Order: sequence, then C-alpha cells, then structure tokens
Amino acid sequence: MPDSDNDSGGPSNAGGELSSPREQDRFLPIANVSRIMKKALPANAKISKDAKETVQECVSEFISFITGEASDKCQREKRKTINGDDLLWAMTTLGFEDYVEPLKHYLHKFREIEGERAAASAGASGSQQQQQQGELPRGAANAAGYAGYGAPGSGGMMMMMMGQPMYGGSQPQQQPPPPQPPQQQQQHQQHHMAIGGRGGFGQQGGGGGSSSSSGLGRQDRA
Amino acid sequence: MEPSPQPMGVAAGGSQVYPASAYPPAATVAPASVVSAGLQSGQPFPANPGHMSAQHQIVYQQAQQFHQQLQQQQQQQLQQFWVERMTEIEATTDFKNHNLPLARIKKIMKADEDVRMISAEAPVVFAKACEIFILELTLRSWMHTEENKRRTLQKNDIAAAITRTDIYDFLVDIVPRDEMKEDGIGLPRAGLPPMGAPADAYPYYYMPQQQVPGSGMVYGAQQGHPVTYLWQEPQQQQEQAPEEQQSA
Repeated sequence: MPDSDNDSGGPSNAGGELSSPREQDRFLPIANVSRIMKKALPANAKISKDAKETVQECVSEFISFITGEASDKCQREKRKTINGDDLLWAMTTLGFEDYVEPLKHYLHKFREIEGERAAASAGASGSQQQQQQGELPRGAANAAGYAGYGAPGSGGMMMMMMGQPMYGGSQPQQQPPPPQPPQQQQQHQQHHMAIGGRGGFGQQGGGGGSSSSSGLGRQDRA
Repeated sequence: MEPSPQPMGVAAGGSQVYPASAYPPAATVAPASVVSAGLQSGQPFPANPGHMSAQHQIVYQQAQQFHQQLQQQQQQQLQQFWVERMTEIEATTDFKNHNLPLARIKKIMKADEDVRMISAEAPVVFAKACEIFILELTLRSWMHTEENKRRTLQKNDIAAAITRTDIYDFLVDIVPRDEMKEDGIGLPRAGLPPMGAPADAYPYYYMPQQQVPGSGMVYGAQQGHPVTYLWQEPQQQQEQAPEEQQSA
C-alpha cells in the first residue's frame, strides 16, 4: 500500500472521498485529526493517508458510540438534553474509565469559566458556546451535576454484575482473529462482552483509576 | 521487512506467534497434541521432542524476553500518556479555541435521530475526549509500527491496535479483515511459519484477562480450559495457551 504522507495537511477537508458536503459532515476535519495524531508520534514519524482517514472514521464512531449510550440514559430518566455528565457516565459504562478523571477536571474548569463569563455579562454571545442549544439554568446544571456523581458507582456495579459470569473462569491470554461479518446481534454481544470484561477487571481492583485499560495492562496485573 | 503470513496473521504479542511456529508439526498429529504433556522443558510439543525441545527452548526464550521487554516499554508509554493528559488539562485556560470544531461534533452527535437537545458543554467535553481518543489510538497504533521496524503509521497498524485493545471493540467493523490478516509482528526471525487454521475457530474477539495461573502452569492450563466457555473447546488443540501463561 502507498505510504504517502501529507505533511502540509492540505485544506480542511482534503481527500476525494470526503468531497461531498454530506461526507464532510460525517467526519471531523482531516487536518485537525492529523495534527493531533502527530502530537502522539515522534518527530520523524510519518502517517499514511489511509491511516488518517481511518482515524477520522474511528473518531466519528467514538462520538456516536458515547452519544448513543448517553441518549439512552436521558430517555430512561425522561430528560431531553444531553449534558457533560451524561457523556462521562456513558464513557464509564462503555469502558473508557481512564478518560473520565481528566475530563471531569476539564468540565469543572469549563463550568467555572462559563459561570464567570455569565456573571460578567448577562447576555454573553453564544455562537462559540452554542448557548442556543438547550442551555440549562445554572441551578439545573448543578443539579444534573450532582445526579451525575452517582452514575459512576452504578455503572461500576452494572459492570460487576456483567462480569460475574466470567469471573470464575481461568483464562490464559488469547488474541483470537477478528469477529464475523457485522451483524446487529453480534455487535450487541461484543459490546456486552466488552462491558463484562471491564466488570471482571473492576473486581480485581478499585475502579482501575488511571491505569491502562489495555489487555497488556491487565496481563501485568494478573 | 514485514512478514505476511497467508493463512491467518493474527495481531498478537510476539510470544503468541512464536509458539505457533511449532504448530505445523503438531497439526499432523492433532489428536496427540491433546494428551502430550510433561516434556523436559515443560512444553507439550510432539514430533521429535528431543531435537525440537532443545531448538525451541532457545528460540522461545529469546522471544519471551523480547516480548516482556516490549510489554514493559509499552506499558510505561501508556502510563506516561495519562500523566501527560492530566497535566495538559490542569494547564488549560482557554476554552474558546478547541483542537476540534464544536459545530462538527454537534452534527455527528445529532446524526443519531434519538438525540434531541445537546447542552453547550457536551461538544466541549467531546472536543477534549476525542483529542484523547485520537492520541491514545495513535500511540497504540505506533507501537505496532515500531514492532515492524517501520517509520510510517499505516492502516494495518490501526487495525492491530483495535484488535489488541478491549475498549476499541466497537471499531472492529471500520477496518476490513484483510487489514488484520496482513498484520505482521516484529519477529526476531523472518523464516518462521505462520499460524495455522485453528485461529478461525474464534467467533468473537474477547480478552478476559482476569486471572493467569502461576506455578504448575501446564497442569493449570489443562484444568482451566474445560471450565471456560464451551465455544473455546477447539483451543485445547493448540499449544499456545501454556506459552501465553508463561509470558504473563
């Protein structure tokens, strides 16, 4: 396969595959994605075009994955607006515990600054902040924040319950081949298995904290 | 140089592929592999045990050492990664400019018809979450690039990272299977035969790393297998399990 590397980054939506407007809306700009990817790599590393495009797709899938779980939670609780805490809860439920601690700090700082800005000027312009979209009153937002604190615990309990059936089995490390062609049921099962796996992991220690969530990490813990 | 096994190149740690190198001889006497055990080296390998054992021990030890060092290095990289993320967030003061456009994030969120209203903070949280996601995925992919002695991150490196990491299960449909098949591991020697057909026996991708037996690993392995999932029965015919446990 070709190893072409687009150092210049090109226009915001470079690449023929992303030329149509609808296609563009489905992904984050390849230039932004490429820039972030380079931050994780050594200076002399190169990134192929198809690798950048693959990460673009992965990020959109990540957003949809988390959003779907958060949306389900809001519907169960008869709420219409997805907020930051819903997203953090969804990440915990779906195995991204490592992300939650940094993002909690981030969200906390954002709310502080947002509060200051709101106090400074009552009619703060909101195109960047998107206040038009379901802006909650400060009190309601705080209430949602408090409600959100309980979520990680319940999520953890859910994961533990999921993990119980597999806890008894002694498993050597295995890296089986990729799963069968995509199917709704299989995809669903995979998600449950992933959650179950996280549950089993949780039972061995307290919530995982800042540890790696990779198989390698868990192997070291064994 | 990247090895490209034709039957099935499974994305795996070095130690897993290495034991597979001895599998072709075992395949010819598949029934015997189930009962063979207790060799001098503790490796249940059939077919000329004396010669194979001596030769295999050296190769296996080298692979095991390489694999362990690689794992430790990668683990340290990941720990460093999360420390850097927390430090970076603590230092954040600007919430107006984000590395990713909020409007686009919002559009992707609203692609789900069930999503009604989105608070102002949600895309902001996602902007940072996606940045972390991209960084972690890229770092894990780069580990695979380095294992193959390359300097260009390719699509199959991302495929390898996805197959190796549990939380990336939801991404398996994004990378085609042939990308995973092309996947090669940085083996010290190039001439080793690839893994055989039994790799196709697994219907799901799952790595329940809850417990690994310590002492008496060969006996523990044999005891553990029947207790686990029924669909993993074919696993008994492979000689990988003991080595994987040793490498843990």
